[in-house]
Amino acid sequence: MFQSRGGKDKSMNISNQIKGWFASLTIPFVLLVLWQVIVSLGYVPAIILPSPEKVFSTFMTNITQNDLLRHVAASLERVILGFIIGALGGFSLGLLMGLSRTAEKIFGPTFHVIRQVPVIGWIPLIVMMFQIAEIPQIIVISLAAFFPMTLNTLAGVRNVRKEYLELAAVNGFKGLKLIRRVIVPAALPSIVTGTTLSLGMSWAVMMAAEFFIDTSYGIGTRIQAGRSSFNMALVLVGIFTVGLIGYGLTITIEALGRAVNNGRDVHKEI
Amino acid sequence: MDIIVAENIRKKFKLKNGQKVKNNGVVSDEVEALSGFNLKIRKGEFLVLVGPSGSGKSVFLDLVSGLSAPTGGVIYLDGKPVQAPSAKTGYVFQQYALFPWRTALSNVECGLEAKGVPKDERVRIARELLSLFGLSDFEDRFPYQLSGGMQQRVSIARALATKPEVLLMDEPFAALDAQTREILQNELIRIWEGTDTTVIFVTHSIDEAVFLADRVAVVTARPGRIKELIEIDLPRPRTGEIRSSTEFARNRHKVWLALKSEVSKAEQYTKLATGFAG
Ligand SMILES: Nc1ncnc2c1ncn2[C@@H]1O[C@H](COP(=O)(O)OP(=O)(O)OP(=O)(O)O)[C@@H](O)[C@H]1O
Ligand SMILES: [Mg+2]
Repeated sequence: MFQSRGGKDKSMNISNQIKGWFASLTIPFVLLVLWQVIVSLGYVPAIILPSPEKVFSTFMTNITQNDLLRHVAASLERVILGFIIGALGGFSLGLLMGLSRTAEKIFGPTFHVIRQVPVIGWIPLIVMMFQIAEIPQIIVISLAAFFPMTLNTLAGVRNVRKEYLELAAVNGFKGLKLIRRVIVPAALPSIVTGTTLSLGMSWAVMMAAEFFIDTSYGIGTRIQAGRSSFNMALVLVGIFTVGLIGYGLTITIEALGRAVNNGRDVHKEI
Repeated sequence: MDIIVAENIRKKFKLKNGQKVKNNGVVSDEVEALSGFNLKIRKGEFLVLVGPSGSGKSVFLDLVSGLSAPTGGVIYLDGKPVQAPSAKTGYVFQQYALFPWRTALSNVECGLEAKGVPKDERVRIARELLSLFGLSDFEDRFPYQLSGGMQQRVSIARALATKPEVLLMDEPFAALDAQTREILQNELIRIWEGTDTTVIFVTHSIDEAVFLADRVAVVTARPGRIKELIEIDLPRPRTGEIRSSTEFARNRHKVWLALKSEVSKAEQYTKLATGFAG
C-alpha cells in the first residue's frame, strides 16, 4: 500500500468530493423514482404507501404546525445525554478492566452476562423501577452507549504494544502519566471506534425506547402517533428524519474522531 | 572507575508449554540466554557489544536498563543494584523507538515530561538536541513523516534529553542504508565525544564497532558470556577518514578473529537444531 507523506492534493480533493456526492445520491434517486412509479401505477393502496409528494407535504406541515423540530430536539437531547453518561461509564470501566487483571476478574463476568441481554430487554424492568418517563429513557440509551464503549476501550488498552510500554518505562512514565500520555493515546483508534459505535447505538435505541416508554415529545413518539392514527405519511416522515439525523450524527462523530487522531496516526507503526 | 559492574549474570526464560530448547546439548524447557556473564564498564567509555545472533546482547541491555531482572547475579550501576528503569539510563531501541502519536519535538521531550520538567524548559532542551542532530526544521513532524535515519536521530536525541549517565543502544543503525549509517556514526561520535556519557552499543557490524568503540566486548554463542575484550587503539576525536587507515584495518582484524569462531559455533547450533547436520 502506498501512503503519501504530505497532505493530499487539494484540487483533486474537491472534484473527487463532488463526484462522491453524486455517487452517494444515485441510490436514493433510483429508490425515489421506483417509489413514484409504484404509487403512480396504483400497485399499492395509498393508505399503505403514500406518494413521495404526500410524504413531503406531511413533512412540511409537521415542521410548521406540529412541532417536528421540537420532537427532534427532545430525542437529540435524550440521546446526547444518555450517550455522554454511557460512553463515559464505558470508557472508565473499559480502562479499568484493561489496566488491571483483578478488575477484569471482578467486573468482567457480570459485564459479559449483562451485555447478552438486548438493551431493549431491560425496558420493562427499568420502567417499573423509575416512574418518570425521562429517566428510564436516558438509562436505556446510556446502556446502549455503555457496552460498545466498554468493549472497545478494553480491547484498545489490552492491545497496546509491549514495545510502547517498554519505551514508556525507559522514559520514566509511571502511574497516571503513563495512562494519560501513553496508554490512552496508544488505544485511541479503538476508543474512537467505540465512541462512534456508542453514538450509533444510542440513536437507534432511542427510537425503541420512545416506542415503549410514553413521552409527550420525541421523534419515536411521533412515529408511534402516526401508526396509531394510521397516518403512513407521518410514519415515513419519522423514519426519514431518524435516518437522516442519525447519519448526520455519525458523520459528525467520525469527523471529530479523525480530528482527534489527526497526524498522530497510531495505525502507522514505525 | 567502573560505572557498571555485571557480576556472574544468568538469565533464563521459561518457554511455553511443550516448547523445548538445547542448552549446551541438554534438552530443557528453559532458554538460557546468559550464563556466567561478567563485565565491568568504565565511566565515560564507549563499549560496543558484538556477538552472534541470539547470544543475549539485547537481553543484557534489558537487564542494565532495569526492564527485566536477572535470574542470577547482580548488575551494579554506580555501586547500586539495578532494580527498575531509572533516569540514569537512556535506551535507544532498534524498533518502536518513538511514540507515533507524538511529534519529533514532543518525542524528545518525553523523558523530561515524565520527570516533571516544566514545559518551557523541556522545549528548550529538546530544541537544542534536535538542532544538534540537524533536525530543527522537522520538530513538528510525526515519526511516519520522517526517514529512517531521521527517526533514529530523534530517538537518540530523546534518550539524551534527560542527560543519562549510561546510554544503551541496541543496533540503532541496523535498518539504515550504508551511507546514512556512516553519517549517523560520525554524528553520534561527534556528539558523544563532547559528553561524559557511558555508552553500551550493540551492533553486528565490525566496522561500526571499531569506529565507535573504546573497547569491543565479544559475546559467545548462547548462553552468552564475554569471550574477549578488545581495546581499540585509535586516537580521538575520530572522524570518517580514520576508516581507511591501516590502524583501523588492524583493529578490525582483531575483532573479526575473536568473533569468527563464535559465529560459526552459533551457526552449527542452528544447523543441528534444524536437522541439517549429518
Ligand atoms: N522473552 C523471551 N522468551 C524466551 N526466550 C527469549 C526471550 N527473550 C530472548 N530470548 C532468547 O534469548 C536468547 C538471546 O536473545 P537476544 O535477543 O538477547 O539475542 P541478541 O544477542 O540480541 O540477538 P540479535 O543479535 O539477533 O539481536 C535468544 O535465544 C532468544 O531466543
Ligand atoms: Mg538483539
